Amino acid sequence: MENKNPLSPHLQIYRWQISSLVSISHRVTGIVNFVAIILICIWVSSLVFGETNYSFINSLLDSIFGKFITLGITWSFSFQILCEIRHLIMDMGYGFELKTTRISGLLVIFGSILLTIIFFILGKNLF
Amino acid sequence: MNVATKKWIFLKISSLILIPLMFWFIINFVSIYDKNFEEVLSFFSNPVSRFLFSLFIIFAFFFSALSISEVFEDYISENNLKNVANRLLYLSAIIIPLITIILIFRLN
Repeated sequence: MENKNPLSPHLQIYRWQISSLVSISHRVTGIVNFVAIILICIWVSSLVFGETNYSFINSLLDSIFGKFITLGITWSFSFQILCEIRHLIMDMGYGFELKTTRISGLLVIFGSILLTIIFFILGKNLF
Repeated sequence: MNVATKKWIFLKISSLILIPLMFWFIINFVSIYDKNFEEVLSFFSNPVSRFLFSLFIIFAFFFSALSISEVFEDYISENNLKNVANRLLYLSAIIIPLITIILIFRLN
């Protein structure tokens, strides 16, 4: 029997706000991260097939496209980390006031960009 | 305990475990993704890296499967389709990390 309950969230009905933008982006990055982890597993597994076979993946990752994908994955993971921290704080009963949700939403958006930069600085020993 | 409550608790516990593992993985991923075969192999041949990476993918797949099943709950109204999507999701969340872990423990 088909479920007649309305589906949520109603993206076409409500006006976009910071909280809805963060919420839907959290879901999108969740799906992106699932695909990213599958790609990471393929990348790591390819080591078993030896240096010759790995050289194709290596050249792909070392290209502009590979660097762009790596940057995207890093941002997506950063966004997910900050969203999860925001949710864990909300689960403890804090940050439900309208102004606070806007501020924490903005912190997640801009913080994810900053965290991506920090990950690259730490990962590449740039300091 | 209600199934939805159990799911929520598992989601929160896996999230708490996953956050530090994500920090560890991303920093290392950024440092090695463009390195040559020997350097990447040496990283994943290290017992500590192997162990932490295995934990990372187990919790990442577990957390992702629970999160994405929530998305299916919200956007798929047809029950049969939702059940098939959930089964495929859970199956991939078990098989992919399992094969990857078996393979990385065979690396020398």
